[in-house]
Amino acid sequence: MNQPDQSHGHDRDHAHEHPHAEIGQSERPGYYDIMETAVRELLVERKLIGPDEIRRQIEVLDSRTPALGAKVVARAWVDPAFRARLLADGRSACEELGISFYDDTGLIVLENTEKVHNLIVCTLCSCYPRPVLGLPPDWYKLKPYRARAVSEPRAVLAEFGTMIPDDVEVRVSDSTSIVRYLVLPTRPKGTEHYSEEQLAALVTRDTMIGVVPARAEIGRLAQ
Amino acid sequence: MTETENLVKRLPNDIGGLPAEPIQQVDHQLEPWEKRCHALADVLDFHKIINTEEKRCGVEALGAEMIGKLTYYERWIVAFANILFRKGILTPTELALKMKEVEARWPEGVGSPPNGRNVK
Repeated sequence: MNQPDQSHGHDRDHAHEHPHAEIGQSERPGYYDIMETAVRELLVERKLIGPDEIRRQIEVLDSRTPALGAKVVARAWVDPAFRARLLADGRSACEELGISFYDDTGLIVLENTEKVHNLIVCTLCSCYPRPVLGLPPDWYKLKPYRARAVSEPRAVLAEFGTMIPDDVEVRVSDSTSIVRYLVLPTRPKGTEHYSEEQLAALVTRDTMIGVVPARAEIGRLAQ
Repeated sequence: MTETENLVKRLPNDIGGLPAEPIQQVDHQLEPWEKRCHALADVLDFHKIINTEEKRCGVEALGAEMIGKLTYYERWIVAFANILFRKGILTPTELALKMKEVEARWPEGVGSPPNGRNVK
């Protein structure tokens, strides 16, 4: 894990005396923390899971960020053949770019156009295209988004500052435990000369959830 | 529709389409134990011990009060324990004893681990 403690920093009096001390559990663990440790250790003792599997899976989780999804989107913007393969089979097209799927989920990529705007949600829980985006933000997992995205998507989008014209259809896709969605945003106008890498920098997590459109950088627009 | 009829038609997770508050765009950095809990969920799925849908049902089976009061990963770990009990993989006594053992690694009444760093 080696997650640095961001909230309270080092103990200034002692840090220099223990330069190699592990940064880790900082206080008596809580009830649920203890429960997690106990369940995990029991499963390892019974050889139902390997002693190193949790640590390894944490490394996998840490390796997944929206940068992977952005790479997929940018490739789809510059390579029509790839885009066709991506829309036909999201998972295998991502795998083509070296993005492994560590679970049994399928991926359906939803293409935004001038006439259709897509939004993804998981009304029942928090299903999300984790292999390509990492873990979902808290708001995606909380009631207001889950409850309202399917019944009043335009109002929800407006809360993210996104106004969809009336003549553009809004489609909401509700994820399941085995089928996940990813939005392929429209390529911003004025980016014809951008490199694939520059394009990927415009693709944020929220554009691939569908709550905001991809935009060319404000600075560039102003020039 | 009566009040109880609605309870029958909508289990606690089934909230799509219900009225709800405006969206607060909140997020947080996972606590180390939360990240371990997430990794545990994935590993349990890989070994076909608990799959994603069983996990979701396990959370729903906690009932509306626990769903409302526990945090996201608190719900997960409690659901895992219940599912493991139901499948006969662990017993409540085994878990209780192991939790006691884990807790005993921190001296009684002390709010921090042996190295005493990073005390809140």
